[in-house]
Amino acid sequence: MRYRLFSVMTVAVLLPVFAAAQQTIPAAAKSQRPARTPDGHPDLSGIWAFAIDLPPTALKTQVNGSVSIKTIDQSSRRPAKTAVAGALPSTPAPSYKPEFQAKVKYLSDHESKEDGVFYCGKPGVPRIGSPRKIIQTPGEVVFLYEDISGDPYRIIPTDGRPHRVNANPSFYGDSVGRWEGDKLVVDVINFVPDTWFGEDGYFHTEKMHVVERLWRDGDNLVYQATVEDPAVLTAPWTMPPRVVKPSDDSLEESPRCVEADGGKLLNNDHHGQR
Amino acid sequence: MRHYLGRAFLACTVLFAAGALWAHHSPSAIFDMSKKFVLTGMVTKVDWVNPHIVVYVEAKGEDGKVQAWTFESNPPAWFRRVGVARADFAKAIGQTVTVESVRAKDGTLYGYLQKITFPDGNFLELANPGGGQ
Repeated sequence: MRYRLFSVMTVAVLLPVFAAAQQTIPAAAKSQRPARTPDGHPDLSGIWAFAIDLPPTALKTQVNGSVSIKTIDQSSRRPAKTAVAGALPSTPAPSYKPEFQAKVKYLSDHESKEDGVFYCGKPGVPRIGSPRKIIQTPGEVVFLYEDISGDPYRIIPTDGRPHRVNANPSFYGDSVGRWEGDKLVVDVINFVPDTWFGEDGYFHTEKMHVVERLWRDGDNLVYQATVEDPAVLTAPWTMPPRVVKPSDDSLEESPRCVEADGGKLLNNDHHGQR
Repeated sequence: MRHYLGRAFLACTVLFAAGALWAHHSPSAIFDMSKKFVLTGMVTKVDWVNPHIVVYVEAKGEDGKVQAWTFESNPPAWFRRVGVARADFAKAIGQTVTVESVRAKDGTLYGYLQKITFPDGNFLELANPGGGQ
Protein backbone atom coordinates (compact mmCIF):
# COMPACT_ATOMS: atom_id res chain seq x y z
CA MET A 1 0.00 0.00 0.00
CA ARG A 2 2.65 2.37 1.15
CA TYR A 3 4.56 2.80 -2.01
CA ARG A 4 2.51 1.22 -4.69
CA LEU A 5 3.13 4.15 -7.00
CA PHE A 6 6.84 3.88 -6.44
CA SER A 7 6.61 0.15 -7.00
CA VAL A 8 4.80 0.47 -10.29
CA MET A 9 7.22 3.10 -11.50
CA THR A 10 10.14 1.09 -10.24
CA VAL A 11 9.03 -2.02 -12.09
CA ALA A 12 8.77 -0.02 -15.27
CA VAL A 13 12.16 1.46 -14.75
CA LEU A 14 13.78 -1.82 -13.82
CA LEU A 15 12.43 -3.92 -16.65
CA PRO A 16 15.58 -3.51 -18.71
CA VAL A 17 17.65 -4.53 -15.69
CA PHE A 18 15.58 -7.64 -15.12
CA ALA A 19 15.79 -8.45 -18.78
CA ALA A 20 19.54 -8.22 -18.58
CA ALA A 21 19.48 -10.41 -15.49
CA GLN A 22 17.84 -13.19 -17.47
CA GLN A 23 20.93 -13.46 -19.61
CA THR A 24 22.55 -15.69 -17.06
CA ILE A 25 24.06 -19.04 -17.75
CA PRO A 26 23.74 -20.92 -21.02
CA ALA A 27 21.48 -23.97 -20.89
CA ALA A 28 24.39 -26.27 -21.58
CA ALA A 29 26.17 -25.07 -18.46
CA LYS A 30 23.07 -25.60 -16.33
CA SER A 31 22.98 -29.26 -17.20
CA GLN A 32 26.48 -29.82 -15.96
CA ARG A 33 26.96 -31.29 -12.53
CA PRO A 34 28.75 -28.88 -10.25
CA ALA A 35 32.33 -29.54 -9.37
CA ARG A 36 32.86 -31.47 -6.17
CA THR A 37 35.38 -31.27 -3.43
CA PRO A 38 37.51 -34.33 -2.59
CA ASP A 39 35.08 -35.24 0.19
CA GLY A 40 32.30 -35.52 -2.36
CA HIS A 41 30.27 -32.41 -1.60
CA PRO A 42 29.33 -29.84 -4.23
CA ASP A 43 31.97 -27.15 -4.43
CA LEU A 44 30.39 -23.87 -3.35
CA SER A 45 33.70 -22.07 -3.02
CA GLY A 46 34.55 -19.00 -4.98
CA ILE A 47 33.55 -15.39 -5.41
CA TRP A 48 29.87 -14.66 -5.92
CA ALA A 49 28.04 -11.61 -7.17
CA PHE A 50 27.65 -8.65 -4.84
CA ALA A 51 24.19 -9.07 -3.30
CA ILE A 52 23.70 -6.00 -1.14
CA ASP A 53 20.99 -3.64 -2.25
CA LEU A 54 22.20 -0.72 -4.32
CA PRO A 55 20.43 2.13 -6.06
CA PRO A 56 19.22 0.86 -9.43
CA THR A 57 20.27 4.01 -11.17
CA ALA A 58 22.53 3.74 -14.18
CA LEU A 59 25.66 5.78 -14.72
CA LYS A 60 25.91 7.91 -17.80
CA THR A 61 29.40 9.09 -18.54
CA GLN A 62 31.03 11.23 -21.12
CA VAL A 63 34.73 10.75 -21.60
CA ASN A 64 36.43 12.63 -24.41
CA GLY A 65 33.16 13.07 -26.22
CA SER A 66 32.13 9.43 -25.99
CA VAL A 67 28.94 8.84 -24.00
CA SER A 68 28.23 5.49 -22.39
CA ILE A 69 25.66 4.02 -20.01
CA LYS A 70 26.49 1.45 -17.37
CA THR A 71 23.94 -0.45 -15.33
CA ILE A 72 24.33 -2.73 -12.35
CA ASP A 73 23.01 -6.26 -12.07
CA GLN A 74 21.12 -6.77 -8.81
CA SER A 75 19.54 -10.09 -9.74
CA SER A 76 21.46 -11.79 -6.93
CA ARG A 77 19.53 -9.67 -4.42
CA ARG A 78 16.09 -10.29 -5.89
CA PRO A 79 13.78 -13.29 -5.80
CA ALA A 80 14.51 -15.65 -8.67
CA LYS A 81 12.36 -14.78 -11.67
CA THR A 82 11.85 -18.39 -12.68
CA ALA A 83 11.45 -21.68 -10.82
CA VAL A 84 14.63 -22.90 -9.17
CA ALA A 85 15.35 -26.62 -8.91
CA GLY A 86 15.50 -27.73 -5.30
CA ALA A 87 13.89 -24.60 -3.86
CA LEU A 88 11.47 -24.89 -0.97
CA PRO A 89 7.97 -23.46 -1.31
CA SER A 90 8.12 -19.80 -0.35
CA THR A 91 5.95 -16.79 0.30
CA PRO A 92 6.78 -13.13 -0.33
CA ALA A 93 6.30 -12.04 3.28
CA PRO A 94 6.24 -13.53 6.79
CA SER A 95 3.04 -13.93 8.77
CA TYR A 96 3.06 -12.08 12.10
CA LYS A 97 0.71 -12.82 14.96
CA PRO A 98 -2.22 -10.40 15.04
CA GLU A 99 -0.94 -8.58 18.11
CA PHE A 100 2.32 -7.70 16.31
CA GLN A 101 0.95 -6.65 12.95
CA ALA A 102 0.53 -3.03 14.01
CA LYS A 103 4.13 -2.92 15.17
CA VAL A 104 5.41 -4.32 11.89
CA LYS A 105 3.36 -1.79 9.97
CA TYR A 106 4.62 1.06 12.15
CA LEU A 107 8.24 0.03 11.67
CA SER A 108 7.73 -0.35 7.94
CA ASP A 109 5.92 2.97 7.62
CA HIS A 110 8.68 4.67 9.59
CA GLU A 111 11.49 2.73 7.98
CA SER A 112 13.57 5.77 7.17
CA LYS A 113 13.85 6.51 10.88
CA GLU A 114 13.49 3.10 12.47
CA ASP A 115 15.68 0.83 10.35
CA GLY A 116 19.07 0.46 11.96
CA VAL A 117 20.61 -0.49 8.63
CA PHE A 118 20.00 3.08 7.50
CA TYR A 119 22.25 4.23 10.30
CA CYS A 120 25.20 1.97 9.55
CA GLY A 121 23.70 -0.87 11.56
CA LYS A 122 24.49 -4.47 10.77
CA PRO A 123 21.86 -6.26 8.70
CA GLY A 124 22.36 -9.63 10.40
CA VAL A 125 21.24 -13.00 9.10
CA PRO A 126 19.46 -13.56 6.77
CA ARG A 127 19.06 -9.95 5.69
CA ILE A 128 22.66 -9.67 4.58
CA GLY A 129 21.90 -12.25 1.91
CA SER A 130 24.30 -14.53 0.14
CA PRO A 131 28.04 -14.38 0.88
CA ARG A 132 30.45 -12.64 -1.46
CA LYS A 133 33.02 -15.36 -1.05
CA ILE A 134 32.85 -18.94 0.20
CA ILE A 135 35.88 -20.87 1.38
CA GLN A 136 35.06 -24.54 1.72
CA THR A 137 37.29 -26.98 3.53
CA PRO A 138 36.58 -30.42 4.99
CA GLY A 139 34.71 -29.78 8.21
CA GLU A 140 34.38 -26.02 7.83
CA VAL A 141 32.91 -23.42 5.52
CA VAL A 142 33.75 -19.71 5.72
CA PHE A 143 31.44 -16.98 4.42
CA LEU A 144 32.93 -13.57 3.66
CA TYR A 145 30.79 -10.51 3.03
CA GLU A 146 31.07 -6.92 1.90
CA ASP A 147 28.51 -4.68 3.52
CA ILE A 148 27.93 -0.99 4.04
CA SER A 149 28.21 -1.54 7.80
CA GLY A 150 31.51 -3.38 7.48
CA ASP A 151 32.79 -6.68 6.16
CA PRO A 152 31.64 -9.54 8.39
CA TYR A 153 32.71 -13.15 8.18
CA ARG A 154 31.13 -16.32 9.43
CA ILE A 155 33.01 -19.50 10.25
CA ILE A 156 30.62 -22.41 9.97
CA PRO A 157 31.69 -25.85 11.19
CA THR A 158 30.34 -28.75 9.15
CA ASP A 159 31.95 -31.54 11.16
CA GLY A 160 28.85 -32.39 13.14
CA ARG A 161 29.58 -30.38 16.25
CA PRO A 162 26.64 -28.72 18.01
CA HIS A 163 26.08 -25.03 18.55
CA ARG A 164 28.42 -23.39 21.01
CA VAL A 165 26.99 -23.33 24.50
CA ASN A 166 28.55 -20.18 25.88
CA ALA A 167 28.61 -17.98 22.79
CA ASN A 168 27.37 -14.45 23.24
CA PRO A 169 24.35 -13.41 21.19
CA SER A 170 25.32 -11.53 18.04
CA PHE A 171 24.03 -9.96 14.85
CA TYR A 172 25.08 -12.93 12.72
CA GLY A 173 24.36 -15.58 15.34
CA ASP A 174 26.00 -18.92 15.97
CA SER A 175 26.13 -21.14 12.92
CA VAL A 176 26.62 -24.84 12.36
CA GLY A 177 26.38 -26.46 8.95
CA ARG A 178 25.58 -29.84 7.54
CA TRP A 179 25.14 -31.35 4.12
CA GLU A 180 21.74 -32.61 3.08
CA GLY A 181 22.37 -34.21 -0.27
CA ASP A 182 23.84 -31.49 -2.43
CA LYS A 183 22.63 -28.65 -0.20
CA LEU A 184 24.65 -26.93 2.48
CA VAL A 185 22.24 -26.31 5.35
CA VAL A 186 23.33 -23.71 7.89
CA ASP A 187 21.51 -23.59 11.21
CA VAL A 188 21.79 -20.23 12.97
CA ILE A 189 20.69 -19.28 16.50
CA ASN A 190 21.74 -16.97 19.34
CA PHE A 191 20.91 -13.61 17.82
CA VAL A 192 20.61 -10.18 19.34
CA PRO A 193 17.09 -8.86 18.73
CA ASP A 194 18.32 -5.58 17.22
CA THR A 195 18.10 -6.48 13.55
CA TRP A 196 15.28 -6.90 11.08
CA PHE A 197 15.27 -10.07 9.03
CA GLY A 198 13.69 -8.23 6.10
CA GLU A 199 13.20 -4.70 4.93
CA ASP A 200 9.58 -4.13 5.81
CA GLY A 201 9.95 -3.89 9.57
CA TYR A 202 10.46 -7.60 10.08
CA PHE A 203 11.52 -7.47 13.71
CA HIS A 204 12.28 -10.61 15.68
CA THR A 205 13.19 -11.74 19.16
CA GLU A 206 16.38 -13.29 20.47
CA LYS A 207 14.69 -16.64 19.90
CA MET A 208 14.89 -16.32 16.13
CA HIS A 209 16.14 -19.43 14.40
CA VAL A 210 17.34 -19.20 10.81
CA VAL A 211 18.05 -22.05 8.44
CA GLU A 212 19.95 -21.09 5.32
CA ARG A 213 20.25 -23.38 2.34
CA LEU A 214 22.87 -22.97 -0.37
CA TRP A 215 23.32 -25.13 -3.40
CA ARG A 216 24.59 -25.04 -6.94
CA ASP A 217 22.38 -24.59 -9.97
CA GLY A 218 24.75 -25.01 -12.87
CA ASP A 219 27.39 -22.33 -12.54
CA ASN A 220 25.19 -20.32 -10.18
CA LEU A 221 24.68 -20.47 -6.43
CA VAL A 222 21.19 -20.57 -4.93
CA TYR A 223 20.47 -18.97 -1.56
CA GLN A 224 17.27 -19.50 0.39
CA ALA A 225 16.53 -18.97 4.07
CA THR A 226 13.78 -19.95 6.48
CA VAL A 227 13.07 -17.83 9.57
CA GLU A 228 11.40 -19.24 12.67
CA ASP A 229 10.37 -17.12 15.61
CA PRO A 230 7.30 -18.57 17.33
CA ALA A 231 7.20 -15.60 19.68
CA VAL A 232 6.09 -13.27 16.89
CA LEU A 233 5.39 -15.31 13.74
CA THR A 234 2.43 -17.59 13.16
CA ALA A 235 4.59 -19.99 11.16
CA PRO A 236 8.14 -20.30 9.83
CA TRP A 237 8.75 -18.06 6.84
CA THR A 238 10.69 -19.32 3.85
CA MET A 239 11.82 -16.51 1.59
CA PRO A 240 11.89 -16.85 -2.18
CA PRO A 241 15.16 -18.31 -3.48
CA ARG A 242 17.81 -16.06 -4.99
CA VAL A 243 20.08 -17.11 -7.82
CA VAL A 244 23.58 -15.73 -7.36
CA LYS A 245 25.98 -15.56 -10.27
CA PRO A 246 29.67 -16.32 -10.09
CA SER A 247 31.84 -13.23 -10.14
CA ASP A 248 35.40 -12.23 -10.91
CA ASP A 249 35.02 -9.02 -8.94
CA SER A 250 37.46 -9.48 -6.08
CA LEU A 251 36.51 -8.40 -2.59
CA GLU A 252 37.50 -4.95 -1.41
CA GLU A 253 37.40 -3.46 2.07
CA SER A 254 34.23 -1.46 2.49
CA PRO A 255 34.75 2.21 3.33
CA ARG A 256 33.76 3.28 6.83
CA CYS A 257 30.12 4.07 7.34
CA VAL A 258 29.23 7.58 8.43
CA GLU A 259 25.57 8.39 8.54
CA ALA A 260 25.30 12.09 7.87
CA ASP A 261 21.82 12.78 6.59
CA GLY A 262 19.59 11.14 9.18
CA GLY A 263 19.03 14.47 10.84
CA LYS A 264 17.68 15.85 7.60
CA LEU A 265 14.76 13.43 7.41
CA LEU A 266 11.65 15.53 7.42
CA ASN A 267 9.01 12.86 6.97
CA ASN A 268 8.49 9.13 7.22
CA ASP A 269 8.57 8.08 3.60
CA HIS A 270 9.11 4.40 3.27
CA HIS A 271 12.07 3.30 1.32
CA GLY A 272 12.04 -0.05 -0.34
CA GLN A 273 14.01 -3.14 0.19
CA ARG A 274 17.10 -4.57 1.50
CA MET B 1 12.13 25.74 -22.50
CA ARG B 2 8.90 24.65 -20.87
CA HIS B 3 9.25 21.28 -22.60
CA TYR B 4 12.82 20.95 -21.39
CA LEU B 5 11.87 21.70 -17.81
CA GLY B 6 9.12 19.12 -17.98
CA ARG B 7 11.56 16.50 -19.18
CA ALA B 8 14.03 17.41 -16.51
CA PHE B 9 11.40 17.04 -13.81
CA LEU B 10 10.21 13.75 -15.25
CA ALA B 11 13.75 12.41 -15.39
CA CYS B 12 14.30 13.46 -11.82
CA THR B 13 11.09 11.77 -10.75
CA VAL B 14 11.97 8.57 -12.54
CA LEU B 15 15.46 8.63 -11.08
CA PHE B 16 14.21 8.79 -7.53
CA ALA B 17 11.37 6.36 -8.15
CA ALA B 18 14.03 3.90 -9.20
CA GLY B 19 15.96 4.77 -6.10
CA ALA B 20 12.95 3.79 -4.00
CA LEU B 21 14.00 0.17 -4.15
CA TRP B 22 17.32 0.83 -2.54
CA ALA B 23 17.63 0.50 1.16
CA HIS B 24 18.34 3.92 2.33
CA HIS B 25 16.28 6.84 3.41
CA SER B 26 13.63 7.79 0.98
CA PRO B 27 15.13 10.65 -1.06
CA SER B 28 11.83 12.48 -0.80
CA ALA B 29 12.19 12.45 2.98
CA ILE B 30 15.31 14.56 2.67
CA PHE B 31 15.41 16.21 -0.72
CA ASP B 32 12.95 18.35 -2.58
CA MET B 33 12.90 16.72 -5.99
CA SER B 34 11.24 19.76 -7.50
CA LYS B 35 14.26 21.87 -6.65
CA LYS B 36 16.82 20.55 -9.06
CA PHE B 37 19.52 23.13 -9.48
CA VAL B 38 22.88 23.70 -11.10
CA LEU B 39 25.88 25.04 -9.23
CA THR B 40 29.39 25.84 -10.35
CA GLY B 41 32.19 25.83 -7.82
CA MET B 42 35.47 24.35 -6.68
CA VAL B 43 35.79 20.85 -5.30
CA THR B 44 37.52 20.99 -1.92
CA LYS B 45 37.21 17.43 -0.64
CA VAL B 46 35.89 13.98 -1.52
CA ASP B 47 34.88 11.53 1.20
CA TRP B 48 34.62 7.98 -0.10
CA VAL B 49 32.40 6.74 2.73
CA ASN B 50 29.28 4.65 3.22
CA PRO B 51 26.38 4.92 2.87
CA HIS B 52 26.95 7.82 0.46
CA ILE B 53 30.02 9.33 -1.05
CA VAL B 54 30.32 13.00 -0.19
CA VAL B 55 31.67 15.75 -2.43
CA TYR B 56 32.36 19.18 -0.97
CA VAL B 57 32.10 22.19 -3.25
CA GLU B 58 32.70 25.88 -2.57
CA ALA B 59 30.67 28.27 -4.69
CA LYS B 60 29.82 31.94 -4.60
CA GLY B 61 26.35 32.77 -3.41
CA GLU B 62 24.12 35.55 -4.70
CA ASP B 63 25.75 37.95 -2.26
CA GLY B 64 29.17 37.10 -3.62
CA LYS B 65 30.23 35.29 -0.49
CA VAL B 66 31.66 31.80 -0.75
CA GLN B 67 29.28 29.06 0.37
CA ALA B 68 30.41 25.58 1.36
CA TRP B 69 28.09 23.01 -0.19
CA THR B 70 27.92 19.34 0.70
CA PHE B 71 26.69 16.85 -1.86
CA GLU B 72 26.02 13.22 -1.16
CA SER B 73 25.52 10.69 -3.92
CA ASN B 74 25.24 6.95 -4.42
CA PRO B 75 27.22 4.54 -2.21
CA PRO B 76 30.82 3.56 -2.88
CA ALA B 77 29.82 -0.01 -3.76
CA TRP B 78 27.54 1.32 -6.48
CA PHE B 79 30.22 3.54 -7.97
CA ARG B 80 32.65 0.65 -7.86
CA ARG B 81 30.27 -1.50 -9.86
CA VAL B 82 29.86 1.07 -12.56
CA GLY B 83 33.62 1.48 -12.76
CA VAL B 84 34.08 4.76 -10.91
CA ALA B 85 36.67 5.15 -8.16
CA ARG B 86 37.34 7.90 -5.66
CA ALA B 87 40.18 9.09 -7.84
CA ASP B 88 37.72 9.92 -10.61
CA PHE B 89 36.22 12.53 -8.29
CA ALA B 90 39.33 13.42 -6.34
CA LYS B 91 41.19 14.50 -9.48
CA ALA B 92 38.85 17.49 -9.50
CA ILE B 93 39.91 18.74 -6.06
CA GLY B 94 40.95 22.35 -6.51
CA GLN B 95 39.23 22.56 -9.87
CA THR B 96 35.97 24.14 -10.95
CA VAL B 97 33.12 21.76 -11.68
CA THR B 98 29.43 22.05 -12.41
CA VAL B 99 27.09 20.03 -10.22
CA GLU B 100 23.46 19.22 -10.88
CA SER B 101 21.61 18.31 -7.72
CA VAL B 102 18.39 18.35 -5.75
CA ARG B 103 18.46 20.34 -2.55
CA ALA B 104 17.70 19.23 1.01
CA LYS B 105 14.29 20.23 2.24
CA ASP B 106 15.75 21.67 5.43
CA GLY B 107 17.24 24.52 3.42
CA THR B 108 20.85 23.80 4.29
CA LEU B 109 23.60 23.86 1.68
CA TYR B 110 23.15 20.15 1.12
CA GLY B 111 22.18 18.28 -2.01
CA TYR B 112 22.10 14.92 -3.75
CA LEU B 113 24.59 15.00 -6.59
CA GLN B 114 23.08 13.80 -9.83
CA LYS B 115 25.64 15.03 -12.32
CA ILE B 116 29.12 16.44 -12.16
CA THR B 117 30.84 17.97 -15.15
CA PHE B 118 34.60 18.34 -14.97
CA PRO B 119 36.68 21.16 -16.46
CA ASP B 120 37.52 19.04 -19.52
CA GLY B 121 33.83 18.57 -20.30
CA ASN B 122 33.71 14.95 -19.20
CA PHE B 123 30.85 14.15 -16.89
CA LEU B 124 29.36 11.50 -14.60
CA GLU B 125 25.59 11.43 -14.36
CA LEU B 126 23.06 9.29 -12.52
CA ALA B 127 20.55 8.10 -15.08
CA ASN B 128 17.57 5.79 -15.11
CA PRO B 129 18.41 2.15 -15.91
CA GLY B 130 16.76 2.43 -19.29
CA GLY B 131 19.68 4.52 -20.35
CA GLY B 132 18.13 7.91 -20.88
CA GLN B 133 17.59 10.87 -18.69
